Amino acid sequence: MSLGYHPLVKRLLDGELSLAELPPELRAEGAEALRLVGAVDRTPVVLSPTLDDRVMAVVRRHAASRTRRTWHWLTAPRDVELRVRVRPAVWAGALAIAAGVALLLARAPGRAPAPAPVARSGARDSVFVRFVLYAPGARHVAVAGTFNQWDRNAAPLMRAGTTGVWTTTLALPVGQHQYAFVVDGERWVADPAAPAIDDGFGRRNSMVAVTMRGAHTL
Amino acid sequence: MERYAVLVRRYRDRYARYAARMLGSLDAGEDAVQDALVRAFDRLADCREPDKFAGWLFLILRNRCYAERRRRQREGRPLDERDDGVAAADRPDGTLEEAERMRALERSLTHLTAEQREVFVLKHVEGLAYDEIAGRTGATVASLKMRMHRAYDRLRDLMKEHL
Repeated sequence: MSLGYHPLVKRLLDGELSLAELPPELRAEGAEALRLVGAVDRTPVVLSPTLDDRVMAVVRRHAASRTRRTWHWLTAPRDVELRVRVRPAVWAGALAIAAGVALLLARAPGRAPAPAPVARSGARDSVFVRFVLYAPGARHVAVAGTFNQWDRNAAPLMRAGTTGVWTTTLALPVGQHQYAFVVDGERWVADPAAPAIDDGFGRRNSMVAVTMRGAHTL
Repeated sequence: MERYAVLVRRYRDRYARYAARMLGSLDAGEDAVQDALVRAFDRLADCREPDKFAGWLFLILRNRCYAERRRRQREGRPLDERDDGVAAADRPDGTLEEAERMRALERSLTHLTAEQREVFVLKHVEGLAYDEIAGRTGATVASLKMRMHRAYDRLRDLMKEHL
């Protein structure tokens, strides 16, 4: 049968009472309890000197993988869905305003057509051009053209989620380029979003014109 | 990165004794401290008050110690299974009887619940007052006292041959 300490002895152990403050009949129990607590090992614990290096080695690995994840998150193509809820009356008004602005721009003297949504690359006389192909059943998609010597492995596209859309962005030099998509390494597909021309060998290629103001299909 | 290395140097030993006593061995305590320091780095963005890094690190280490105890319980491995316990045996400043009592207490502590063991370690090993323990762990002083008093009774029972 276990016998617990008297509540006053517990207060002694808690440091709220001294041994002398205990009733005489509890002092023996108090002394025993103090022997118990006195057996506590308070020796400082010294950890291995290599602990710092081990921690920092893991931390550096984690930091590197975090950087990789961040870079992948920033660079991986993904679909962005914008949902706008507009009342029909407001929608009609917005369309009218947009049409008015378009007319004004079109009438502006010497104004060139708006460039495609592209950014100028760091390379001199090069412009970033985005290629997009909808190929839901494809396992691999690349773009080959005059800008990469028709190398079917030089410019793979990345799958954008599970929507079947493949994309990549390339820095192309200013000028006209012919290109086509290569699906699963063997099937050549002209860009459905661009007019195609006959390459003279029975295949159809798409055309893109790159200027410093942007790129547009021909 | 180098600033974190400074934090590691500064805090690596601060809670080492707590971890070793909670887990019953120096090796397990060291593993817990290492893991807590890595986890703290991974969640550094969650440390909203950098001035309170030490207290935040303690909570991570505490969770790690509790998780390790639960893991060992699941695996059926008691805490005193290892032979590198932290109780100092044959200390030059004590008698053989005292050294044996120290080892017995260390073994007995492994039979307490994690909560009882923690409050005992923080109060009697680390020398903290109840309100300081409450500040670190988030428990109330009343519940800490209740745990401690149950721990006293349990330890008395376990240690009756050594007192």
